[in-house]
Amino acid sequence: MNRVKTNLSEAERARIDTEIEVILAGEEELMPSSGFAASVMDRVRQEAALPAPIPFPWMKAIPILLLAGGGIIWSAVELVRLRVPGLGLTALGQSAQSWLTTPLPPLSTVQVRSLEQAGWVALALGISLFSWLLSRQLAGRGGLL
Amino acid sequence: MNIATSAGNNRADADLADVARVLAGDAQAFEGIVRRWQGPLVNMAWRYCRDRGRAEDMAQEAFMRAWRGLSLWRRESSFSTWLFALAANVYRTELKRFPTETLPLEAAPEPAGLATQHNELAAQLSHDAVRRAVLALPLRYREPVILFYFHEMDVAAASRTLGMPEGTLKARLSRARALLRQRFPRLEEERGARKVFTLESGKEAAR
Repeated sequence: MNRVKTNLSEAERARIDTEIEVILAGEEELMPSSGFAASVMDRVRQEAALPAPIPFPWMKAIPILLLAGGGIIWSAVELVRLRVPGLGLTALGQSAQSWLTTPLPPLSTVQVRSLEQAGWVALALGISLFSWLLSRQLAGRGGLL
Repeated sequence: MNIATSAGNNRADADLADVARVLAGDAQAFEGIVRRWQGPLVNMAWRYCRDRGRAEDMAQEAFMRAWRGLSLWRRESSFSTWLFALAANVYRTELKRFPTETLPLEAAPEPAGLATQHNELAAQLSHDAVRRAVLALPLRYREPVILFYFHEMDVAAASRTLGMPEGTLKARLSRARALLRQRFPRLEEERGARKVFTLESGKEAAR
């Protein structure tokens, strides 16, 4: 590499800058090939002839996603809370449990048990609804009704 | 109103009309847009890659993206600014996927001094070396250089196209020129009057 190290004067620097500007600004225009516009329009016509893409069914998907998300979160909370052995969650469980329990007002044992049962019931209902919707979808009958 | 401004307005009006027709379902109206902008888009792509075949492929892809996203043009900026910004995005992505084979800036050959008997050829080679050296600049400096010296763009238009403040664009242009100056410290002085684009005004000026 034979890089030239020079201490250019201001005038010399300005001259080279101008030279570079002239070179870059003076580049000749390239003509597109004669069939360019036609080939673009061929592709456009092909795409225009295709049927419009089917929009993603958000109205159907959102409740399902919410239920599934809720179920997963509830399961995760329960796993952490119960510190299921063998899942390697004990350490995580301790910190997560303290975080989960700190801001809550103290609940009686009965209340805790009721909430726990309600959660499991909600999870079971969610899974049932999800499988019902999935089976309807597979059978070609979308929607809730 | 001068001729260039008038032509620009006519083109803007034609773009508006064609876009409206395309959005109303007339795909054929897109041809007007392609015919008006094929030159600038192919030339812009050429400056990104210096490969004619690839430049046309890249410009075609830019037109297809424009076709698919025409409804996304909000009319806050001119159609040309929107189209150039979209094209710059397409070209940038394309070059990230398949980079052009370029020498590092330090390895770019420095043009030799002008031979007395082949002045024009030597000047041509010298200019070509400088233009190719632009490809070896880091992308953040290369894009401002490509856009500023392209298709009647000034600092304002180039900064809008790249979505960056004018000050940032000026700083990057200045840095890019410093890198090129460092690489080509012996560019021959050419004689005679010619046009230059001054950064300060962002407008064409005669020297």
